[in-house]
This record gives sequence, structure tokens and C-alpha cells, in this order.
Amino acid sequence: MSGQFVAFFILSLLTIGGAVFMISFTRVVHMVVSLGITFLCIAGLFVMLDAEFVAVSQVLVYSGAISILMLFGIMLTKKDDVEPKAHRNKRKLISFLLVAALFVFVFLGIQASPWPNPEAAPQPVEQSNPKQIGLAVFTRYVIPFELVSLLLLVALVGAILMAKKEDGK
Amino acid sequence: MRELVQQPLTMWNLLLIVLAAIALLLVVLVFVTYAIYFERKVIGWMQLRPGPNRVGPLGLLQTVADVSKLLLKEDTRPKQADRILFALAPVLAYAPAFTVLAVMPFTESLQFADLDIGVLYYVGLSSITVLGVITAGWASNNKYALIGGLRSAAQMISYEVALVMSIVGIVILTGSMNLREIVEAQRDVWNIVPQFLAFLIFIIAAQAELNRSPFDLPEAESELVAGYHVEYSGFRFAMFMLAEYVYMFAMGTMVTVLFLGGWLPIHPALSFIPGIVWFVVKFSLYVFLQFWLRATMPRIRSDQLMSFAWKGLLPLAFLNILLTAGFVSIFA
Repeated sequence: MSGQFVAFFILSLLTIGGAVFMISFTRVVHMVVSLGITFLCIAGLFVMLDAEFVAVSQVLVYSGAISILMLFGIMLTKKDDVEPKAHRNKRKLISFLLVAALFVFVFLGIQASPWPNPEAAPQPVEQSNPKQIGLAVFTRYVIPFELVSLLLLVALVGAILMAKKEDGK
Repeated sequence: MRELVQQPLTMWNLLLIVLAAIALLLVVLVFVTYAIYFERKVIGWMQLRPGPNRVGPLGLLQTVADVSKLLLKEDTRPKQADRILFALAPVLAYAPAFTVLAVMPFTESLQFADLDIGVLYYVGLSSITVLGVITAGWASNNKYALIGGLRSAAQMISYEVALVMSIVGIVILTGSMNLREIVEAQRDVWNIVPQFLAFLIFIIAAQAELNRSPFDLPEAESELVAGYHVEYSGFRFAMFMLAEYVYMFAMGTMVTVLFLGGWLPIHPALSFIPGIVWFVVKFSLYVFLQFWLRATMPRIRSDQLMSFAWKGLLPLAFLNILLTAGFVSIFA
């Protein structure tokens, strides 16, 4: 049993556990904290795949996002607000069937897809991780990259416009 | 030390890694103990009073006494507090503070992990602390703690943007985010000269990130009692204080590495003095600046805080990126 396996086991357990608890908790702040644990552990999984840049971006983006989400959760709900649990069995059964079907599809898909032999996989190149990403983004994928940034800019301007409208009333 | 992380994990290596981490923790604890002592001394001298001088010679054991008081104190928890999150919050605040030290290059050879994304690693991990602060504010079930937590989150998230943007200029100049390479690139001239604007922005944003004066609104004693950690006492309170001072240690290291040339001497002729001494001298200058500001600057008003970050610092940081990028693309 290698150290990598142990780390993978712990990280994936925490990732799934965080997601499950996120659904089963009834208080908004508890949900946000368990979601945060899931995001952090996904970053850990990225580190194990030698994708440090993606891992750190994940932490950078999502820890801020989680904090903001928590702020909204605190401001928009009451202190002791508890979400009532759904008790309808019929709906539970239907969602269980749907989830089971999804699991079967994903499982079969993963089983069927051909995996490259780990020995034959390309060895990590000498260049550093962020440098490679930068070269790929600004040469090969430059048009999608610019389009995405334009989209984000539009979203930002839209958000400001909506906030302003409410202010002017 | 860097090679240790690359080697396959055996019991012996694991033991060495753990021992190295404990050694760093001890260094940090000693730093924190004496940073608090000197903070009180320096502020005392600036206000024409002697400062702590009763416990031990020259008051040197004052902080040791304070910490042992904190650790021996009864651990109280408000009845209505959220039990689990109340216990989790100090951990969430402190753990990232210590982990960011892993990438800091103290000298050429003394560094725990040599990451290509050292700068981003620091910024990314340190933003987790905000989560701990909000959690503490909410879990305490106290209105002052909650207001302090919210203020702290708003402030730290806004100033983080300016902080990151001010570093971009250096990354463009160096062509790397590796902290060791950034120091090596400063052999001819330290970054503080070509990136003076970025240095000013970084210093101001760092004060806000550290929640220190003149940006110590989240802990404004006169209006908020003590901010997010008002309900904490004993060991848990000590964890929050420790996180605050460890961040000061980390931020001092960042300033030294990014702008002041890390372990490099001020002139090549002086290179007979070991790198660690240069590092400590530059680092102490930054720490002294902290105490100086705290003793002399009034607190900024809460409504000025946000507009200063978004309308003042951020456009300046963008201007700095633009100037640096233009300079590099014309001359390089």
C-alpha cells in the first residue's frame, strides 16, 4: 500500500463525505462548510494528478466563493432556520431509481472507456506546469479563452446594472 | 530539504519531514512570542512609557506568562453556540496560516517545497482563513462576533484582489511564479525599484489582509468589543492570535522575497555575510513597520474602506500591470 493510495483514499472519502453531508445537513452554514471541504479535497486530488496550477486555482476561486455563499446564507436566512426534511416516500423512490440509473450509466461508461497504459503515458515534460497551461491557452485555445472572458465581462456588467436599478428606486 | 519531498515515502523520510515541520513550528512560536513582546515594547517607547518590564529580565518573559495564562484558563463556550463549528473555526483559521510557510524560501537551500506556483499557493491557501473567521463569527451566536466576521470577510476578500494584482507585475518581470526564481531574478536590482508602485499597493493591501491597523476594523475594540473572536477564550483564543501573528510572519517573508531580494546582500561585495542574516534583517524591517504603523495610524472609517480598495488600489494595480507589460514587451 503506497502513500499515494492512502492519500487518494482519504481525499476521495472526504470529497464524497462532504458532498453527502452537504445534502443531508439542514442548516445553511453547515451545508456551506461541508461543501467547502469537498472543494478543498478536490484540489487535493488535482495535486495528486500533478496538476498543481489547477489545484491552487480551485482553492483560490472556491474558497472565496464559499465565503461569499456563507455570507449570503447568513444574511438571507434566520439563525435557527432549519430546512424541513422531505418525507414523501414516492418521490424518494423515483429519485433513487434515477440516481441508480445514472450510476449504472456512468459506471458502464467508465468501464468501457479505454485507458492509456500508465507506463506508456507521456512523461511530464521539463517545462513548468503554469507555463504549459499559459502556452496552450494563449496559442491553441486563444479564441475560446477570449470568448469566455467576454462572457464573464458581460455577466459582471449585467450584475452591476441589476444592482444599480434596485438602488435607484 | 527540498529533495526530501521528491523521494519515495519511507518511514525514515516521513520522520524527517515531521521533525522538520516541528522545527519550523518552534521557530514560528518563538517568533510570535518575541514579536508580541517587541510590539508592546516599541509601542510603549513611542508613547513614552517603558512597556512590559516586570516578568523576567527586561520583561522578556511577559509573553510566556501571558500564553501560559491562556492555556491554563478554563475553556468556555456559550450555551447557544454551534458546538462543532465553534471548535472547527480556530483550526480553519490557523491551519492555512502554517501551511503557507511550506513554500517560503528563507535562504537558497532552506525551503521546504519548491513549487512552480509558489506565489499562487500562498494567496490561495491564505484565503481559506476567511472561512474560519466567518465560521467563528457565526458559530459564536453573538451579534458583535457576527458583525466582526462579516466585516472581516468583506475586507479580506476585497483587498486580496488588489494584493494579487500587485504581484502580477513581478511575475511578468521574472517570467515565473516560483518564489526562488523571483529572488534569483533580483541579483542586479531589487524589485522594489522597478516595481515601487506595486510595493506600495502590496504593503497597503497586506495591512488589510492581516487585519492590522489602520485596517483593524474587524476587531475595533471600541465598537465591536473584539470582533469575531469575542466569545473565544483560553486555548482557542490563543489559536486565533497565533494565526494572526503567523500571517504576519508569512507576509513579512513574502515582502522580503518579492520586493527586497530575499537572502541577497545589498551589494555583491557584502556577500560574505550569510544569506539568512540578510533575510532576517529585511524581514525585521517589515515587522518593525507593522508596530510603527500600529502606534501612529488612526483607524480608517468603515465606509471609506471598500471604496479605497475598489476605486483606489485596484485601478492603480491595473495601471502597474499595464506599465510593466508595456515595458517588458518594448525592451525585452
